[in-house]
Amino acid sequence: MKRFIFTLVIALLPASAFALSPGAQEIMTKSQAAFYYPGRDFKARMMMTLVSAGGQKRIRELTMLRKNFPGGNQKYFIYFFQPADVKDMTFMVYKYPDRNSDRWLYIPALNMVRRIAASDKRSSFVGSDFSYEDVSGRNVDEDTHTLVKEEKLGSKDCYVIKSVPKEADVEFGYKLSWIDKKTYLPLKEQYYDKRGQLLKVFTADEIKTVKGFPTITKRTMKNVQSGHSTQVIFEKADYNLGLPGNLFSERFLKQPPRKWIE
Amino acid sequence: MRKFSLVAFSVEHPKLIVVLSVLLTMLFATQFPKIRTDTNPKNMLPATSDVRVWNNKVEKTFALYKDVIVLGIRNEKGVLNPSTLASIQRITGRILGLKGVAARDVSSFETIDNVTSNGGTLDVGPLMPHAPKTAGGIDALKQQLFGNPLFIGRIISRDGRMAAIYVPLEKGANGRQIAGAIRKIVKEERNPGDEYYIAGDPVARDTFGAEMFKLMAVFAPIAGMIMFLVRYLMFRDIFLSIVLMMDAMMSIIWSMGLLIGLGFPIHIMSSMAPVFLMAIATDSMHIFNEFYFRYREKRDKKTAIIETMNAVSRPVRNTALATAAGFAVLMFMHIVPVRIFGGLVAFGTISLRLLSFSFIPAMFTFVKDRNLERIARSEDVDAGWTARFLKRLAGLGIRKPAATAAAGFLLFAVAVIGITKTNINNNLVEWFKKGSDIRTADTVINRSLGGTDTGYIVAAANEDGYMKSPEAMRYIEGLQKDLERLPVVGKTTSVADYVKRINYVLHGNDPRYYAVPPTEQMIGQYLFLFSMSAKPSDLDNVVDYPFKRANIWVQLKTWDARAMKDVISEVARYKAAHPTPMVFKPAGIAYFNLVWNNEVLWDMVKGFAFALIVVFAILAWDFRSLKWAVVGYMPLLFTIVLIYGVIGFSGKDFDMPISVLSTLSLGMAVDFAIHFVSRFRRRLAEENAAGGRPDKDLIAESLLWTAARPGKGIMRNAILFASAFSVMLFAPLTPYITVGAFIVSMMMLSSLLTMIYIPALVTLFSGWLFDGGRQ
Repeated sequence: MKRFIFTLVIALLPASAFALSPGAQEIMTKSQAAFYYPGRDFKARMMMTLVSAGGQKRIRELTMLRKNFPGGNQKYFIYFFQPADVKDMTFMVYKYPDRNSDRWLYIPALNMVRRIAASDKRSSFVGSDFSYEDVSGRNVDEDTHTLVKEEKLGSKDCYVIKSVPKEADVEFGYKLSWIDKKTYLPLKEQYYDKRGQLLKVFTADEIKTVKGFPTITKRTMKNVQSGHSTQVIFEKADYNLGLPGNLFSERFLKQPPRKWIE
Repeated sequence: MRKFSLVAFSVEHPKLIVVLSVLLTMLFATQFPKIRTDTNPKNMLPATSDVRVWNNKVEKTFALYKDVIVLGIRNEKGVLNPSTLASIQRITGRILGLKGVAARDVSSFETIDNVTSNGGTLDVGPLMPHAPKTAGGIDALKQQLFGNPLFIGRIISRDGRMAAIYVPLEKGANGRQIAGAIRKIVKEERNPGDEYYIAGDPVARDTFGAEMFKLMAVFAPIAGMIMFLVRYLMFRDIFLSIVLMMDAMMSIIWSMGLLIGLGFPIHIMSSMAPVFLMAIATDSMHIFNEFYFRYREKRDKKTAIIETMNAVSRPVRNTALATAAGFAVLMFMHIVPVRIFGGLVAFGTISLRLLSFSFIPAMFTFVKDRNLERIARSEDVDAGWTARFLKRLAGLGIRKPAATAAAGFLLFAVAVIGITKTNINNNLVEWFKKGSDIRTADTVINRSLGGTDTGYIVAAANEDGYMKSPEAMRYIEGLQKDLERLPVVGKTTSVADYVKRINYVLHGNDPRYYAVPPTEQMIGQYLFLFSMSAKPSDLDNVVDYPFKRANIWVQLKTWDARAMKDVISEVARYKAAHPTPMVFKPAGIAYFNLVWNNEVLWDMVKGFAFALIVVFAILAWDFRSLKWAVVGYMPLLFTIVLIYGVIGFSGKDFDMPISVLSTLSLGMAVDFAIHFVSRFRRRLAEENAAGGRPDKDLIAESLLWTAARPGKGIMRNAILFASAFSVMLFAPLTPYITVGAFIVSMMMLSSLLTMIYIPALVTLFSGWLFDGGRQ
């Protein structure tokens, strides 16, 4: 009886006018919002560990600042602490929902800012197993999404969505995502290559709620074909700090304000 | 006289013996369905060998692939045209879809990343995301390709006529199968003017392994048929020819069955065992040879059989022992498949002998007297051109022993000079015939690009981070420049090249900045930038995580094992002239081939020396005399020295197949001397019934008799042996031709030398040999 009422309530929700569950496209849109857009702005101190197939490790320590702008636009500011010889290096991304991002890099040894026109969004972010798109989000409209099934992952109810890229210019043939029904965060993603073989696996290893926003504070991306993997730990994470809009400029790339990056 | 009783028993109960033999054969044959094969010649070295462990470690540290296939696309008018480029794009796409291909690291125009400078902007991305269709697009691509020294000689030839796709393979993938799939893909392209070439170690290696098995499956039966035919021509009796064939077949089934039953995979080496056993089986020829002579004299089958076995049992037993021992010494070698092969053939040889003393005499009893009569009539010591020819050969040594010996000594001396000219080398690709696909592809690609064979030089420092220092970078740059001066080196690539490239790009393509930057901080930041602009594996391939070790890629233009040796000694020379805290160690497939060839080669040379000693010991034991052992040993030693002398003079490399053969042939070539000496001494003892020191005439007469009667058996044996192996002269793989030529010449030479030099030596040293009346 309880279950019946529960089902009835769900069925009467406006978002699910045609089905018990929301459409795959809608799930992914919600997931993107929960994963990449929560809050007005966001700051995290990240420890990124690259682990080679042989078990060797490389560390990248950075602070990432993110601010949302109207129309789905976002700006990212990244400051590197480690490796030691790239300390003070900064990286800035203007992300647009409908076209390629703009990127700038500050090279302290040359005291030089260079704009980077990267035609490959899928290329590696600082040598890690995460691509630029994995860091800032892939446009939902670039893939065709279908709801494959609903199942429990651990104790959490998930939608399992299959996403097939519309263009063939990416390294994966399709992706399966396990989207938490409650938080809409992706708990697991499996990337399959164009031959249908498993290529990369993303896992959300720890989720904490920060200022009311469920946040993945520990995540891993493993390339199962090469054996290489990358783990990212958010040592500090905070939302709605009131990051100034003019922070995301070439001037501050060269002289990042201590206040925001520490 | 246990053997005697076995023969007598077999003659008394022939049916029982035949049934028992067949049953035993069936028992061994039941193991055949469990057959497992191992076609990888690399497995000659165990996975735990130093070089494999070290190479695995290097591959892991630098995220390298063991096996890479190179596809060269050539167009006489240049590959940078819209249709060839579109074709390259299609081919790349389909290669990425092949199972077993490490798609993430395939290097092609489409997948390789490039970083270029355009005003104040750095352009990062794939070199050719889409094949250009316009002249402008082609020009831009041309500029990118030739503007980046990392690409020239790697993915594009300097003359623009060849493009290359590098296809790394996942662990355990079969290079021949993937090469086959790529061949199929390019076959469908049909772009006018485009030619395709497929090369690389895995193609050569896996093709060789597969071909070798195929050849064995073809050659063993052909060799069997030829022996059957030649035997029939010799004795004109189908029944006996079949008996001899069955004898060989049974021993092959027994030994292969045992090998499979024990759970060993059939490796390339052991796949050759059937042909060897078939050849060794020809030794039963002596039984037949003698049997017909005896039958002619006695006219009674059973008596003739038993007398025959009495006369030949000792040499037949001892030649088997020598052959078995010659192969058994291989069991003490280092290389596992060689040990297995040695044990396998030794077991087969002993089985053969067992059959010679049971199955063959038993089968003799079934031959009709009428047939024997007919054959025996043609067997006469005095008549027949063979007998006359053999007597003339022996007569040469008897009449002019000193001159014959002197001529021999002269030849021997010349051959020794030839041996000093021996060239030790090995070239996997040259195992294929000139004009074969694999060899042509390799030649064409090596002419245009940096080289299909890859070696690594791993530089290791004492402290983490050292590789980021300008000092280390400049040193590596200098070493590369030095290595590139070697004629065998086509191209080198290192972390210094990446740093220089980034420096150049960041400074607006100013050629002055194509250099190692002055500070460690710059190098660190450039490398970081590089890691943002290329596949992560690109950086991993040249430097390890703590920046303690760097990997210099050395592309070689030849598969000669010697080439890597040159590189290694050049590195040592450079380091001696330019001191550095870094140490350098070679690795990679080129290094593996060098070590592998050397190990097998020296293992074989060791085995050869060991077999020489063992064979001598067996001769001495058999003849119960060191003196006679020396005499019996001479033809063998002479044959070997002559053959190696010819190899030395001809300039043919002393390579792995030849070294393997040397050991194998020893135990077989000594047979003739054993037969000759044993039968001669037996004859002499019979003729010289009075005892005492035999006179010269008696010795000469006995020598002539031996040359004509057992000598006929020796010649027949040699011809049979040689005809079986001559099939290999027509093989498409050069090591087989080498095996064929080597064994044919070895058999013919050693039989001839036995016929000439044993009589000469016996005549010359009769005083010494018959000293004190001992024979």
